[in-house]
Amino acid sequence: MHTERFERVKKSTNLHFTMEADEALRKIEDFPSNPGAMGYFYDLFRSVYANGGSLTHKGTIIGTMCVQVPEELILAAGAVPFRLCNGAHAFDQAGAEFMPAKACSLARATVGMLHINRSVHKERLGMVVVPATCDQKRKAGELLREMGYNVYILEVPSSKNSEEARHYWQNSVKRFTAELQHLTGRKITKKSLGTAINLTNEARRQFRRLYNFRKISPPVVYGKDALLVSNAYFFDDKERWLQALTDLNNELELKALKGESVGNRHAPRILFTGSPPVFPHLKIPLLLEQSGAIVAADEVCSSTRMLYDAVAYDESALYDMIPSVADRYLKPCTCPFLVLNDDRRRRLKDMAGQFAIDGIVYQIFSGCHLYEMEQRTIAKTFADSGIPLLFLETDYSQEDTGQLSTRIEAFLESIKARKRRK
Amino acid sequence: MKRLRQAINNSDISRFRFHFQLFAFGLLIYGGYLAIDFGSNYIPAFACPFVETRGGTCYLYPLQHQLNMPLSQLFSGRGIGLLTGFITFLLMFVLFNKAWCGFACPLGTVQDWITKLRNRFGIRYSTYSETVFSRQKNIKYVLLALLLLLSLGMSNSLFGMQKLSGDFSTSYCMICPGRTVLPLFTGDMSQLVIDFSSKTKTVLTGLGMAVTGLFFTGAFVKKRFFCLLCPMSALQYIFSKAGLLRLKKDGMKCTRCGNCYRVCDVGIREIADDLESTMIVQDDCMMCLKCVSACPEEGCLKATFLGLPVYEATEQGFFKRMGGRS
Ligand code: SF4
Ligand code: SF4
Ligand code: SF4
Ligand code: SF4
Repeated sequence: MHTERFERVKKSTNLHFTMEADEALRKIEDFPSNPGAMGYFYDLFRSVYANGGSLTHKGTIIGTMCVQVPEELILAAGAVPFRLCNGAHAFDQAGAEFMPAKACSLARATVGMLHINRSVHKERLGMVVVPATCDQKRKAGELLREMGYNVYILEVPSSKNSEEARHYWQNSVKRFTAELQHLTGRKITKKSLGTAINLTNEARRQFRRLYNFRKISPPVVYGKDALLVSNAYFFDDKERWLQALTDLNNELELKALKGESVGNRHAPRILFTGSPPVFPHLKIPLLLEQSGAIVAADEVCSSTRMLYDAVAYDESALYDMIPSVADRYLKPCTCPFLVLNDDRRRRLKDMAGQFAIDGIVYQIFSGCHLYEMEQRTIAKTFADSGIPLLFLETDYSQEDTGQLSTRIEAFLESIKARKRRK
Repeated sequence: MKRLRQAINNSDISRFRFHFQLFAFGLLIYGGYLAIDFGSNYIPAFACPFVETRGGTCYLYPLQHQLNMPLSQLFSGRGIGLLTGFITFLLMFVLFNKAWCGFACPLGTVQDWITKLRNRFGIRYSTYSETVFSRQKNIKYVLLALLLLLSLGMSNSLFGMQKLSGDFSTSYCMICPGRTVLPLFTGDMSQLVIDFSSKTKTVLTGLGMAVTGLFFTGAFVKKRFFCLLCPMSALQYIFSKAGLLRLKKDGMKCTRCGNCYRVCDVGIREIADDLESTMIVQDDCMMCLKCVSACPEEGCLKATFLGLPVYEATEQGFFKRMGGRS
């Protein structure tokens, strides 16, 4: 009886999810002159989500719940990193059974997805790594363990400013390394880690190429496409992803040389920050670009924060490489779970200048206290800069779309009026 | 010009430095064979005069001799000797700033070779905790002060004390690893002895032997172990701000990613975390410029000479150096 009901819920949830994904893709593709090389990514999402987002990788898959998990080590241990952070309203609703109504959509959707599709995921995920970052993720980790997942809690310091914090984190990563080797039965060697670092650094190099193309004005690429590319990194085969992005970059390079651009030449240039947009919840970036703006830059953990920084190590030996990988995940981090997060303010300010930003849109998932609480300091940072900010509290449902779109249009109008005055 | 600059910024500074150090080592240790002598020039690096064939002279040696004079003679001929000696040192130093340590000092080079050896063996390095690091920072200033005071103390009675015996002549050199280690490279082991001719000398040369042992073991476990204690480094740092070669940082461009700190052999944390200073050379810095090569932010760190950039952090250069390693 119970299982029958579950099967029914599972079926309808996955159906809703597929519809949601389809709808989002339709909106994403519904723009003039999409780059040809984006075809790979559109198809990828369509094929993956048409059958409920299945795990097709060979070998051990390690699920990760946050960008704080060092993927180089997972790769070096011969496993596949797979970021589980979920963006679907259908799964968000399924997660309501486990997490309070006031919890953040992203954490709830991730738990919901792992609940609904537990049969495949339990079988295929060798381990689910939950960094002890924000409260929602931490408690989600406990819930997943109760569901029967092999959960590994990756301990993270709550500040990054002292050397003690850094060493604590390095040790935590060392323990994680041992656990990974235990799970896969493969020893991480200086060679395998070197190869993994080369691969991920190359991914970041190509990501930065895309990032730099987004600085060009008039714009050569839409933010929705850039976000889709980085979202694909969550689950796609790394080498294939790298090739597809390289193709896209080469195409954009030509485009830029020929002086071609997308959208309106004078489109307001938006810097997107706050809670991470994860496919299919690209609601706000899409609304922005549908209303004639361009999301020129983002400072979110589903995109820039995930792929901007590269590992630098000094000596080719594990004793130096592993702590270097660890440093890569802590030192440049600007996630608001860190206390004294001045780096985020500086980063945003720097990006606003580099990308010639006209306005900042700050997404807050209802229930995410951390982003909500940083709202004031970020507002203060830009108070005298002449760059307006728009704070939008939202969740994964589509109910607020009308209201959001009104506010966004008003915001863009005021930017345009300001630009005209100049 | 732009192409040249790009090529330089893409280059691997560590490889260049390795070869330059080799060249400088040859010049400063074996230069005498080729009748090359910067010998009359006092240089701000340990080109130790206890090496017969050297091609330069460590300034600390003449400095200690020249200070051994009654203060009353400061304005006589001997004072002028002290002054000209100091001016030569200063001119040489100002030219390359602390890059003398990273690129030319033979004793620094020997330590880097020992580091390479350790790495070859796959033995991990150790690092200091922050408290140890900050405490030990001061030792070099104490050594420098002692060096100056003991030299002066032989001809003057300082602080109402008796004049010191002549056995304190070049007292720092007696404990300096430059004197014991560098001659080894010319096959000269004569400095590896304890001089029992007087009590003072016994103690000093005995200490010298202990320091030599410490030098080798220290350099093996901790990169540039001795440099963190070096009184020459202390003397240099006093004038570092006047250097023509500079290490500059633009804090606005820094993401505090920590790459620079990660690769710094002497563990200078400020290089990543100081966002205010534009002239970023710290007293332990040897201007090896490894930090510049590890910084992925355009123009965030750079070395300039007379205000012109000579080596600059670039995204392209960073990924070029980091990619395809191992
Ligand atoms: S600090 Fe090191 S490199 Fe510099 S002078 Fe002293 S021993 Fe030589
Ligand atoms: S012993 Fe040391 S301080 Fe004295 S001259 Fe030689 S290198 Fe310089
Ligand atoms: S490597 Fe560059 S960007 Fe990173 S912390 Fe150092 S100076 Fe800052
Ligand atoms: S701060 Fe930079 S130049 Fe100075 S020693 Fe460290 S890595 Fe070398």
